[in-house]
Amino acid sequence: MLFYKAWLESRTRFLLSAITMAALASLFVLMNKDVRADAAPHATYSQYLWLTIYKGYLRDIFVVVALLFGMGGLARERAYGTSGFTLTLPVSRWRLTGARAAVGVAESTIMAFLPAILLPLLSPLVNEVYPWPQALHFGLLWSLGGSFVFTMGFVASALFSGEYSAPIAAVALLFAYSIVADLPRVEQYMIDIHDFMRGTGPQGPLALAAVIATSTMLIAISGFITRRKDF
Amino acid sequence: MLWYKAWRESQARFLITALILIAFCVFVVLFKPFIQANVSLLMPLHLRKAAYSEYIYNLVYSGQAKGVFALLVIFLGIGGLQRERSHNTAVFTLALPVSRLRVIGTQIALGALELAALALLPAVLVPNLSSLTHQVFPLSEALHFSVLWLTCGLVIYSFSFFLAVVTPGEYTAPIACYLLLMIHTVAAQWHPLRPYRLNLMWRMGEFRTMQWDQSHTFLLPPPLSWSALSLMALISIALLATAALVTDEQDF
Repeated sequence: MLFYKAWLESRTRFLLSAITMAALASLFVLMNKDVRADAAPHATYSQYLWLTIYKGYLRDIFVVVALLFGMGGLARERAYGTSGFTLTLPVSRWRLTGARAAVGVAESTIMAFLPAILLPLLSPLVNEVYPWPQALHFGLLWSLGGSFVFTMGFVASALFSGEYSAPIAAVALLFAYSIVADLPRVEQYMIDIHDFMRGTGPQGPLALAAVIATSTMLIAISGFITRRKDF
Repeated sequence: MLWYKAWRESQARFLITALILIAFCVFVVLFKPFIQANVSLLMPLHLRKAAYSEYIYNLVYSGQAKGVFALLVIFLGIGGLQRERSHNTAVFTLALPVSRLRVIGTQIALGALELAALALLPAVLVPNLSSLTHQVFPLSEALHFSVLWLTCGLVIYSFSFFLAVVTPGEYTAPIACYLLLMIHTVAAQWHPLRPYRLNLMWRMGEFRTMQWDQSHTFLLPPPLSWSALSLMALISIALLATAALVTDEQDF
C-alpha cells in the first residue's frame, strides 16, 4: 500500500519524463542526419549518440528529472495538511521513507534504461547499428548515477519544507557538488557523478560500490531527518 | 498588500536563485587563475589560455550561469491560484476585495521584476569585480546579455506560469516546463527550422554569433535583434494574458 501511495504521488512526473525521454531518444536516432550535421559533423554514429545522449542533452534532462523525482514526502504533506493522516498509518517513518525511496530509485532506473533499450532497437531503422553491450553499460551507469542524484533531491526534500525551496536547494546542492568534485585534490577522493554517467570517470567495482553506498547513506540520512522531525 | 503577499510567496525562490548566481559570478571572476589552472573544472581544455572576455563569456553568458538561470526561472514562474487551491488557501485569497486579474497581475508583475533583477545581476557583478582583478569586461556587453536573459527568461517564466495555471499537481508544471525547454532546443535544430534560430538557449548566449574585435581583445556580441526580442515579449504577454483569463474562468 505504501508503494502504491508513493507511485500515485509521483506517477505524473515519472510518466511525463519517461515519455519525453523516450521521444527525444527516438528523435535523436531518427533525425540523426539533421542533428549530427549541426552538432557533430565529423562524428561517427556511435560518437554522435554519446555526444547527444550520454554526454549532452538527454543526460542533462535525466539528471534534472531524477533530482525532481526526489521531491515530496512528509514535509510537503505537512503543508497540504495531510501528514497527520499518513502518520496515523500503522507503519514506522523509516518504512514510509523507505517505500518512497524504493519507488523513486525504481523510477529513475527505468528512466536510465529507456535509452539503453531504444537506441539499439531503433538504430536499424536508419541503417545504423548501436551495440547492446554498450547501451546496457550506460544503462547501468545511469541507473546508479540517477539513483545518486535522486537521493540528493530526496535529502533536500526532507530538509526543506517550503514550497519549491527543496528543488531549488537540490539544484544548488548538485551544482555545488559538481564544482567541488572537480577541484584538484578533491577529485582523487570524490567521484564526479557527471563523469561517471558519461562513462569518462571511474567505472570499476569500487566506484560502483562507492556510488551505491553514498546513495544508501543519503537515503538513511533522509530517514533519520524524517524520524526526528515534528509534524 | 497584494505585492507584499506575492513577494512573501516568491522570496525564498528569488533569494536562493540570486545567491547561486552571485556566488557563481564571484567565483568565476575572482578565482580565474585557479579555474584556468585546473582545466577539468567548469570548462573545456581549449579555454585554458582564453582571453578574459572569452573566459567570462564561456562560463557566465554561454555557460553554467546561463543554464542555472534558465532552470531556476522555471521555479520563479510557478504561481497562480491553482497552487493555492491545493493548499486550501485559495478561498482566502479570493475573499479579498480585489479581482482575480489583479491578484494574478500582481504576481506576474512582481515575477517580471524579480526576473529583471536576476538578469541584471551578472551585469552589475562581472564588470565591477573584473576591475578588482585588474581585468576589463565591457559594461555594454554585460547589459547586452542582461537584455537577452530578461527577454528569453520572460518566455520561460511565462510558459512556467501558464503551465502552473493549467496543470494540477505541485511538480507537474516545473517538470513539464523544463521538458518543453529541452524539447524545443532539439526541435530548433531540425533542418527547416535551423535558420530561424528558435533555440532560446542559443539566443540567450548569442551562440555562434560572437565575434572578436579588431585587436582580438574582446569577444563581442552582434547588435541586438529587436524584432526577435519584440516577438518573444509578445509571446510572453500572450501566454501570461491567457493564464490570467484561464484563472478568471476557473472554479476554486
